[in-house]
Amino acid sequence: MTATAERLPVAHRRSPRRPAQDRLVGVTQLVRLVLRRDRTRLAIWVGAIVGIVVASEASITGLYDTQAELDQYGALVRDNAALIVQAGPGYGLDDPTTGAVLMNELSIWTIITVAVMSIFMTVRHTRGDEETERAELVRAAPIGRHARLAATLLGVFVANAVIAIGVVLSLLAYDLPTMGSLAFGSALLLAGVLYAGVAAVSAQVASSARSARALAGAVLAASFVVRAVGDVRGGTLSWLSPLGWAQGIRAYADERWWVHALTITATVLLVVGAVTLEARRDFGAGLVPQRPGRASAAPSLRTPLALAVRLQRGALIGWIVGVALISFFYGIVADQAESIIEDNPDMADFFAQLGQASITDAFLATSVLMLALTASGFTIASMLRLRTEEAAQRADFVLATATTRARWVWSHALVAAAGTVILMVVVGASLGAGLALMTGDLGHVPRLVAASAVMVPAMLVLASATLAICGLAPRWSITAWGMLAVAVVIGLLATLLKLPHWLVMVSPFTHVPPIPAAPFELLPLLLLGATAALITAIGLGAYERRDIS
Amino acid sequence: MSDVVKTFGSTRALDGLDLEVETGEVHGYLGPNGSGKTVTIRVLLGLLRPDSGRSEMLGGDPWHDAVDLHRRIAYVPGDVNLWPNLSGGEIIDLLARLRGGVDPRLRDELVERLQLDPRKKSSTYSKGNRQKVALVAALASHVELLLLDEPTAGLDPLMESVFQSCILEAAAEGRTVLLSSHILAEVETLCDRLTIIRHGRAVQHGTLAELRALTRTSIAVATNRPIERLDSLAGVHNIRTDDGAVRFDVDGADLDGALRHVTSFGVRSLVSRPPTLEELFLRHYDDDLATDQPSNSTP
Ligand SMILES: Nc1ncnc2c1ncn2[C@@H]1O[C@H](COP(=O)(O)OP(=O)(O)OP(=O)(O)O)[C@@H](O)[C@H]1O
Ligand SMILES: [Mg+2]
Repeated sequence: MTATAERLPVAHRRSPRRPAQDRLVGVTQLVRLVLRRDRTRLAIWVGAIVGIVVASEASITGLYDTQAELDQYGALVRDNAALIVQAGPGYGLDDPTTGAVLMNELSIWTIITVAVMSIFMTVRHTRGDEETERAELVRAAPIGRHARLAATLLGVFVANAVIAIGVVLSLLAYDLPTMGSLAFGSALLLAGVLYAGVAAVSAQVASSARSARALAGAVLAASFVVRAVGDVRGGTLSWLSPLGWAQGIRAYADERWWVHALTITATVLLVVGAVTLEARRDFGAGLVPQRPGRASAAPSLRTPLALAVRLQRGALIGWIVGVALISFFYGIVADQAESIIEDNPDMADFFAQLGQASITDAFLATSVLMLALTASGFTIASMLRLRTEEAAQRADFVLATATTRARWVWSHALVAAAGTVILMVVVGASLGAGLALMTGDLGHVPRLVAASAVMVPAMLVLASATLAICGLAPRWSITAWGMLAVAVVIGLLATLLKLPHWLVMVSPFTHVPPIPAAPFELLPLLLLGATAALITAIGLGAYERRDIS
Repeated sequence: MSDVVKTFGSTRALDGLDLEVETGEVHGYLGPNGSGKTVTIRVLLGLLRPDSGRSEMLGGDPWHDAVDLHRRIAYVPGDVNLWPNLSGGEIIDLLARLRGGVDPRLRDELVERLQLDPRKKSSTYSKGNRQKVALVAALASHVELLLLDEPTAGLDPLMESVFQSCILEAAAEGRTVLLSSHILAEVETLCDRLTIIRHGRAVQHGTLAELRALTRTSIAVATNRPIERLDSLAGVHNIRTDDGAVRFDVDGADLDGALRHVTSFGVRSLVSRPPTLEELFLRHYDDDLATDQPSNSTP
């Protein structure tokens, strides 16, 4: 006993200490552990976020370098419901400055990205760790009950602070006003930490890391929708959304610093909630209890495909509900986009530049692309099951039975592909239903289902590339997400960032005809399909040859 | 398997491994941590592709004929990871069906004997219970060969004995079992023959009796007249005298000669102790011990 006691941290020695402090013993070491384990991921997040912000600054300052150009931008964008949904209320666009334009183009995406980073990081280090033996090792060490949660939140704070500092420095480097730059930087930091709080609560409530991420993601999606509806309808509802608060700071447009008080209060409440819940629940268990399962398998559970369906069913249902809601909402606002063109001649010019398409169709085409990029999250996550199953050595079980490798790979590939098709049909149908609700014209439904369905071949290219990565370089499977990130940047920010043509052509989504803003074309879809088939064959070939480990 | 080599980067996990398991026997597979037991079993399952060497299982090639062979074998991994949101019962049925069929009577009997609650989601199972799920899944179908990688890690002593009787029954039915294990008592009870592996090579194999014969027996003997020229006998080591008794260790092969010599001095008492399995092992597990004794290997 004495021999071990010698080596324990000083804090652990029995001495009269207040219990509250005991619960946090070990935080410092754990924060270092969190940051160390995440150093590569964090470097990528920070690099990507700050990089995109810098590229946008370069592009905006170049595009709008006279007041006349800024005014023109303001006139085009202000009061455009469709753009308000995507970007935010457009503070300061009545009298536009470079800062205000930049915020309108960039702020919401940056805030969402830091929120996503914070959610992933928080769940990984809390709930995610509990599913491995790692956290138990840590918990068994002289570490306080809440130390891991505290360390995770501190780690997330540090990560967000680094991003915020990088963003502020880059804004200042482009000569943007100090106050506005600090306002945006601090809004990013606080929003990131707030969503870490959301994730911390989800991690206590949910029964697995997967569902914790889904729950926190759903809160983020809901925040987006609430703020979008609120912004279109004059702003009241936006006060219920943390994303609304982050934009409500009004960077570069007469800053309202007091809005931070809302974010900070909510964050404190969330953290207190998470700590309270953590004290009540058992290690490794959620607050939502596991129901007992079946004593024997259903007769249908007899093939690898049935297993893959069973494993991914819950996630797919979650995605279906999520994209259905967002798409329905986009359908509703799409109708409002139309009314603007009638009393705004500038707008007509703006969309004339886009081609012959009507403003509604242009909006719908962009929405379909955005929703397809969102749904690709399912496609990739579903395909990555191959890797998770292998890494957790569950694949061994299946492959030690009379199941060929090809059959096992196909079982997951088919679920990913079929799930993708289902999601895109749901996107089209909900978008059409939302629009039909406003216009009374059910004809929108088949048109938009077609528009969404043509995205499938591009998504299958992503799926096949994920499969190929898992087959050829299993240790690098995480880079599949990088691929999606690149597709998102190309799809949504190509013009803003003035990306070179060859780079834009890399994304499979570039080759999909943007229906309904453009006519249907078969050839690119066939080529995308052929590409997906070829890459799949390469991936399968790799799986046939390599070790499973 | 003969002369099988499997490398991971610079690690030679299997370094010219020879392993032979005869049909119908329970074969113990022993070796220190990291010696290559799990790798061997994964090669046999066709999950790993060996760099060189020849392996054959049930008359087929583990890599090329994997699927056909897998209908005839069952596998229990050392580290059982199950699908968290499936219940134990579902997993047992699924795995058995994927292999080609489940015997529901046998399955229920095993669930009963191992005291497993099949309704629980596997995320809520303890380590021992996860192990039980894998065991039931493996034992519930009539396969020819069982590949068991430390199957009792995490089982309590009662369940361990249930497991042992299950294996003995399987053996009685004529099934072949390859059992990797660190639990010597278990190996002693169950195994007909065994192989000891070290650094990816088989260092010894044979029946327990054969292996014992290869090792030294400790003798303590008191004689009427002092024993002469004991140290000049072949195979006699560690001679020491205390309380009037002479103690020495003698190699299995030289036991007969040594005893003849000793009895000629008029034996008053003699105690002989065969090597325990522990001693057998520790020789191979510990580097220093292993080098100080002659290395015996049956052909
Ligand atoms: N996928 C892999 N990649 C790299 N090295 C590996 C891999 N699998 C096994 N090894 C190495 O091969 C060697 C043999 O490992 P193996 O798992 O077979 O040991 P073992 O005999 O089963 O040990 P234990 O008794 O601890 O289970 C070890 O040095 C291990 O680190
Ligand atoms: Mg092992």
